[in-house]
Amino acid sequence: MKPIHLNLAARPFRDYRPVYAAVVIMALLTAFLALNNVDTFLRYRTETKTTRANIAKLEQQIADEQRRTESFAQRLRGVDLKLLASQTEFANAQLAERAFSWSELLDRLERVLPTDVRLLSVAPSFEKDGLVHLSMTCIAKTGEGLTATINRFNGDQHFANAFPASETLNGTEYHITLGVDYRPSIARRVE
Amino acid sequence: MIWREKRVLLIVLGLLLLANTLFFFTYRVQYVSRLQDLDARQEQAEAQLDQARNARVTAEQQLAAYKKVQADLQVLYNERWSTPMQRLTALIDEVKRLAAASHLQPPSYSFTTGESKQVSTVPSTKGSVGTTTVGIAFTVQGTYEQVRRLINLLELSDQFVIIDAISLGANGTATDKVLTLNIRLKTLFKDVRTTAPAANRQL
Repeated sequence: MKPIHLNLAARPFRDYRPVYAAVVIMALLTAFLALNNVDTFLRYRTETKTTRANIAKLEQQIADEQRRTESFAQRLRGVDLKLLASQTEFANAQLAERAFSWSELLDRLERVLPTDVRLLSVAPSFEKDGLVHLSMTCIAKTGEGLTATINRFNGDQHFANAFPASETLNGTEYHITLGVDYRPSIARRVE
Repeated sequence: MIWREKRVLLIVLGLLLLANTLFFFTYRVQYVSRLQDLDARQEQAEAQLDQARNARVTAEQQLAAYKKVQADLQVLYNERWSTPMQRLTALIDEVKRLAAASHLQPPSYSFTTGESKQVSTVPSTKGSVGTTTVGIAFTVQGTYEQVRRLINLLELSDQFVIIDAISLGANGTATDKVLTLNIRLKTLFKDVRTTAPAANRQL
């Protein structure tokens, strides 16, 4: 017996399930990526906004610093540095001379000079290294006065480089001129 | 057949998916790169700021140091050294007072004046240092103790007086202990003829 095929459908039957499956998968993937992209974009905007603001702030600060530096440099250019250095050097030299203690020097000379040698004159000149060069004239009673004086200077830590300039016999006395470096307790460097 | 019927939807979805995929990968890569660039720029700007700040601090300290030197010089020139009109008579009185306090009586005083000279190490310095040097020389006779007392009093004086040189000589016999002291003092005055020193110029 031959079966009867009844087809009551208005349209031909199509199986769309693969299409819908593909559409659903594509839509899900798109939605996932879109959300991720939006998140990335917003995060980027936020983070770069902060960094850009920081950079702008830093650049502003750099410009401020440079402007202030230029202002200081301009004021420095107005200073007569050579005259200032010259006056400072001169003032330091004068202060060093003022600070020089003659009392201490005379105390030390009293101790260091031999008993038969008498100081006649002394004039200091101030060196840059803090030493004071003394030009001295002394009177010795004997001919050994010069060598004895130099030896006594060499044996004292406050004196150095004693060197004679002249020795003259004047009657019974010997006039000695010599130079010696003297180191005061408080040495002031002349700068 | 079924794909063709839904092709519009599929194409639209496909395009959206493609666009999102492209955006996802490319934007992600550029995002990191841009962030790194920005970080690098920020670090560079920070380094530049440090550099600029150091330069400013150096210039500021240099200026402050010059200001201090100028202020110190100004005090020295204007107050310690001052002008002859303001300080000379007081200085002479002081020297006489100290000699009297040492029981010494100088029979005469000699005074000299001249522009202060300086052996300068500063290259090509022109002009004077703006001071006048006044010298006072006198001779006194007295015992060694009196001489030492005078020297000590001169050292302790508030006046800016420098003992430039001294010379001693024995007087009479060795038993009378009387010495002759030649003493040369000097002091400095601000030079009123020249223009004000650098110390007086404001930065």
